[in-house]
Amino acid sequence: MAAAAAGSLRRAGWRLWRGRAGLRCQLYAPQQGFRASAALRRASEEQRKEPPSPSSQQQFDPQQADPRPEQEAWSPGPSYTGQDGQESQDYESEEQLQHRILTAALEFVPEHGWTAEAIAEGAKTLGLSAAAAGMFHSDGSELILHFVSQCNSKLSDLLEEEQKLVQLGEAEKKPTNQFLRDAVEARLRMVIPYIEKWPQAVSILLLPHNIPSSLNLLTSMIDDIWHYAGDQSTDFNWYTRRAVLTGIYNTTELVMMQDTSPDFEDTWRFLENRVADAMNMSSAAQQITNLTGLNQRR
Amino acid sequence: MAAGLCPGRALLSRRGGALWALLGTARGRAAGPETHFGFQNVSEAERREKIYQVFENVAEKYDVMNDSMSLGIHRVWKDILVHKMNPSPGTLLVDVAGGTGDIAFRFLNYVRSVRERQLQQKLRHHQNLSWQEISKSYQEEKSNPLGDSQVVVCDINKEMLKAGKKRAQHLGYSEVVAVHAEKKHECFTIADANRSGLSWVLGNAEELPFDDDKFDVYTIAFGIRNVTRIDLALQEAYRVLKPGGRFLCLEFSHVSNPLLSRLYDLYSFQVIPVLGEVIAGDWKSYQYLVESIRRFPPQEELKAMIEDAGFLKVDYQNLNSGIVAIHSGFKL
Repeated sequence: MAAAAAGSLRRAGWRLWRGRAGLRCQLYAPQQGFRASAALRRASEEQRKEPPSPSSQQQFDPQQADPRPEQEAWSPGPSYTGQDGQESQDYESEEQLQHRILTAALEFVPEHGWTAEAIAEGAKTLGLSAAAAGMFHSDGSELILHFVSQCNSKLSDLLEEEQKLVQLGEAEKKPTNQFLRDAVEARLRMVIPYIEKWPQAVSILLLPHNIPSSLNLLTSMIDDIWHYAGDQSTDFNWYTRRAVLTGIYNTTELVMMQDTSPDFEDTWRFLENRVADAMNMSSAAQQITNLTGLNQRR
Repeated sequence: MAAGLCPGRALLSRRGGALWALLGTARGRAAGPETHFGFQNVSEAERREKIYQVFENVAEKYDVMNDSMSLGIHRVWKDILVHKMNPSPGTLLVDVAGGTGDIAFRFLNYVRSVRERQLQQKLRHHQNLSWQEISKSYQEEKSNPLGDSQVVVCDINKEMLKAGKKRAQHLGYSEVVAVHAEKKHECFTIADANRSGLSWVLGNAEELPFDDDKFDVYTIAFGIRNVTRIDLALQEAYRVLKPGGRFLCLEFSHVSNPLLSRLYDLYSFQVIPVLGEVIAGDWKSYQYLVESIRRFPPQEELKAMIEDAGFLKVDYQNLNSGIVAIHSGFKL
């Protein structure tokens, strides 16, 4: 009974201390010795700043000198396992470890497909047991979502670079249709290494429980492209432009999946034609509204 | 507690329990701190002793009783546990308090079928194989049907292990190896295990006779309730798991739905001890069983204890709205 009371006190105390990420285990000098987290490594080189999590940790935040990831239970706990206690170390969070596992798993995808086996192989390369793949859903959907969001961020970076060059005057500003073509082509080229298993990925992304996340990623990517293309519309055009580009993107992706021409030439030609169609359609719509007098802007 | 619904026997045992407590405290102060045995209060050493006796008595009829008490649903629970584990060939599993080997057998079946599917996929992908290559792959399938997966069944009770070994022979998981390793560091190495992938070890969950960082998965199905110091068992689990390893615990837990809770209490206290008397001739052991379920910490508390031992991404899944819960944690 006393042991249970002591245990619960310790737990309560530990939760309080969890917020104080800097001061660790100087208070708990366990007899069994410290045990650093087996796989969460120090992330002092991590650039990323995770958003601060629940309120209990907010009060301790100002005391932290350096930004560090503050996810729940990001370093193992109280009396039995602690850290070195030497100096305050940055440990990565579970989220970051999961990202690392998924990134490592990507190279096994051509062989195993988008499955839990690929994730297990990825975990093994990081020195973890294959059982760590149990952290993810067994149909491999997290792997695909991770890959898609990675591609989207790469695309964003690419477009940002191009924009910087244009602003510095080192490159010409591309006309809209050229810009869109290049952006979609760049994004689709990222899928080429996995093209064999890509149909499987698309079908998994269309499962009901994945649709919210996959739709989210798709729309934010399309939005990004239009933003860098210089779209500043504030009327209904905003919606039509994104809808049209989403249609172009999806159909081109489908064409690419069954394209056998060298370096996917047929796909890029298809893309060119669709973008040209879209441009024509918009100018045709404008002409019609001009003719019928519906166009307010003269 | 279930005061309104467990008249008769339960009250009797609780009154007897008060007497026991008196005797216990008088006798047992030297034998360790106070803990509980069902609804009684006893010392730790006494509790270990009593639980050992309980399982010694029930070992023979353990499986029959499981089927009759849970109406066979315990098989589904164990199936769900192994599916959640989703083991791949090459996994090393330690099943603690695994007694009669339910989880171990399911694990072996699962791994065998996954391995078969893997080999079939490999064959299908390679077109134009010569006959030699095809026969080589069939031989590979025969010589290594489990893909090097191993399961070690560890239990503190000799009778339960004996019952398990008998069952394994009967069901055809042959070539068993018995190892006694009662002290820590008197280690049992994987080299001792064998082609059948199955080994039986006598050991205490609070002090496992294995090296550190050894197993991929640690399971304890309906056993952690009987461990006297749960925190020690969780620490041992953390110790023997590899980095990335998974802890899975299947146990009776707290039912939150009030209607279901009443029905469940009624069934537990009125029907189960009677079944125990009729089928196994042992009322008291099954009385202990249902009482120990009530005394066990609920889902959130167990989750906190698992997190305390150092596991991350701890989560639980209720089966049958809380009658049974599967807790899972990772050593990261």
